[in-house]
Amino acid sequence: MKSDQRKNSWVASLRSQARQLSQIAMLVCVGALRARRPKGELLRQLYQVGNRSLLFVLVTLGFTGMVLVFQSCLQLSRVTGDLSQVGGEFIKYLVHEFGPSLTAMMLATRVGAGIAAEIGSMVVTEQVDALRMCGVEPVEYLLVPRFLATLMMTLLLAVFGVLSAVMMGAFTAHQTFHVPYSVFLDLSKVRLTDVLTGCVKALSYGAAIPIVSGFCGLSTHGGSEGVGWATTRAVVSSSFAVIVLDFLISALALLSWQSM
Amino acid sequence: MTRALLALGMVVLSICREVGGMALLGFYTFVNLIQGRLDGKELVRNLYKMGVVSVPIVSLTALFTGGTMVIQSGIFVQRFQAYGLLGWGTGYAVLREVGPILIGLMFSGRVGANNAADLGSMVVTEQVDGLRALAIEPIPYLIVPRVLAMMLSMFCLLVLGDAVAIGGGMLFGKLLLGVDYASFYASFVDSIKLWDVTVGLLKGTFFALMIALTSCHYGLSVKGGAVGVGQSVNDAVVAAALLIMVSDDIWTMVLR
Amino acid sequence: MKKLHLDPSKPPVFDGISLRIAQGETCGLCGPGASGKSLLLKIICGLIRPEAGTVAVAGQDLGAASPSELRSIQSQIGYLFQNNALFDSMTVQENVAFPLRQRVRLGQEALDEPQILDRVSESLRGVGLATHAAKMPSQLSGGQRKRVALARAVVTRPPLLIYDEPTAGLDPVTTAKIYDLLRAEQKLTKSTTLIVSSDIDALRRFADRMLMVYRGTLCYDGPSADMDDSASPVVRQFVRGELEGPL
Repeated sequence: MKSDQRKNSWVASLRSQARQLSQIAMLVCVGALRARRPKGELLRQLYQVGNRSLLFVLVTLGFTGMVLVFQSCLQLSRVTGDLSQVGGEFIKYLVHEFGPSLTAMMLATRVGAGIAAEIGSMVVTEQVDALRMCGVEPVEYLLVPRFLATLMMTLLLAVFGVLSAVMMGAFTAHQTFHVPYSVFLDLSKVRLTDVLTGCVKALSYGAAIPIVSGFCGLSTHGGSEGVGWATTRAVVSSSFAVIVLDFLISALALLSWQSM
Repeated sequence: MTRALLALGMVVLSICREVGGMALLGFYTFVNLIQGRLDGKELVRNLYKMGVVSVPIVSLTALFTGGTMVIQSGIFVQRFQAYGLLGWGTGYAVLREVGPILIGLMFSGRVGANNAADLGSMVVTEQVDGLRALAIEPIPYLIVPRVLAMMLSMFCLLVLGDAVAIGGGMLFGKLLLGVDYASFYASFVDSIKLWDVTVGLLKGTFFALMIALTSCHYGLSVKGGAVGVGQSVNDAVVAAALLIMVSDDIWTMVLR
Repeated sequence: MKKLHLDPSKPPVFDGISLRIAQGETCGLCGPGASGKSLLLKIICGLIRPEAGTVAVAGQDLGAASPSELRSIQSQIGYLFQNNALFDSMTVQENVAFPLRQRVRLGQEALDEPQILDRVSESLRGVGLATHAAKMPSQLSGGQRKRVALARAVVTRPPLLIYDEPTAGLDPVTTAKIYDLLRAEQKLTKSTTLIVSSDIDALRRFADRMLMVYRGTLCYDGPSADMDDSASPVVRQFVRGELEGPL
């Protein structure tokens, strides 16, 4: 009986959270389409999301590129010994899978946590209420610039991430396994569908991260502990959103190619 | 020019400060651990808070990771009709690289960030000073149990996560690619060695140490109210993600 | 005629409070800690919706208002938050100008940029901080921040002013200064004023009418001067600050 009640209240809270999340998503999308917004704010957010994450993304993706190339060369040299295909396949995978997804995982920690921390501390210091009292819709004012900035920057940073991973991968292959750069940097395997899948992924992650973490930030309550909690929730939820979206889009892409 | 140099110097100095702080914290933790100075009750409480509570998120992450890995190798497998390699490809990728990294990142988000927030609000509300006033040493009481609990729970979560990811791989391999369970399993068992599992688990536990040190360090160095707590949680997860990626590279090069 | 009627019954905090505030009144709201004073203020201006009952400001029902109508009602209320709630990414001047700019954007007021800046500096002069316009809120002391928040609350000359703990944590001199400013503002604009404070003596000197909430009900509603002789023992004990009693 008691567990039944607990289950019911759990379902109810899940439902109300889903409703709030979809409300915020709607408001953000409507707000993004409207032209009326302060220009400086968008630029500031583009800088915050883009420039300040660039080094982080370059370093992490670079190291991932090294690891992936190292592992695949190691395995292939044990099985066939023919390393001429590694570069092409690696770049193809990077474009449609690892590039956008790992960049987004990194942005989920860097940008998602940042958005939640910033908005969360505005909630606990009553700044969000103050915005409302000035006749401003906080979702539109705070989230729309962050949404647009993350949407654009995820795509751009994914491009930079792929470049960094390819360069570090080529370097690793050259240094450790003596694969010439000209053989490694083989773009012929990359088809248009790969590029499209990668772009769709990057854009969906870029839309999901700010909405999910903005929702976590706006539902902050309690003092400094509440901000910490909201930040934690934002990192977990937006990383998880990235993983689930990755799976869904990959499955869709696989199924639609099969039918083509 | 001078300004650029100055900025570069500031960045290098601040990196040194953070890394040094973490190393020092790790050293103190190690010393206290050898001397057996840790609070048992705190350890059990943290094991529950960090381990048991993270089971759902880690299982879900692992399930989807296994699925994604199958899809990624699926393209390759279908092109060459090499259905017998699916178990090997998925297993190797999950156990050695993707499993520890993704579960590590989720663990960093769930547990590391939470830990930094927890310690941070203790600092902000002067609870850490309160402990000192009660003559309770903060490191054996607060830090050692947390570091130990994170490493232990990461190890266990990784075992669980690996199992779920492989299971998820089998499931989605059947659903999406039509590879039946038996051939997936056969290819997995034939080609995966105990060494692969061990490397993955070692790596993951080391990631947990990195997560623990970053989150404790940033948590303890919080300054200034709610804004400070949010900021240091953010810094902690970013530093943990960087350290995971960089140390993964080193581990891969060292343990072939 | 601007009237405010509210009847929130939000268990467990409030249980059937009914209250009407006429235009131009100065009301003080007091009560023991955690009795829901701030909550009541937030219900009045529609930041929190009551579970049952209606709140009306200037004859408009907040519960029935659409989000954009609600925002336009709220922009006519000057609210001084307990923690000041200054936007910490903006300078003092931008903070004070923000509500004015929003009103211009919503088409409620037609001001051009120089006029806005005039109003801002006039408002900052009023609180004695004209020289601090370019500073960030983090560079100010607690009392200065409170005064900036006050300038921001009154800059739009709102018909309803709500002050949540305007003097909490300030020294006696600054407290006196803040109350002086509030009095000057009230004299100038004749706006309806609602103040929450735990400093009950200063509050009674300022407000014509006192309200007291205790255990979810309104246990006192009447002239400030009669509070000492209230029939309720709770009110008498609270006003006199005695240790013995029902509280």
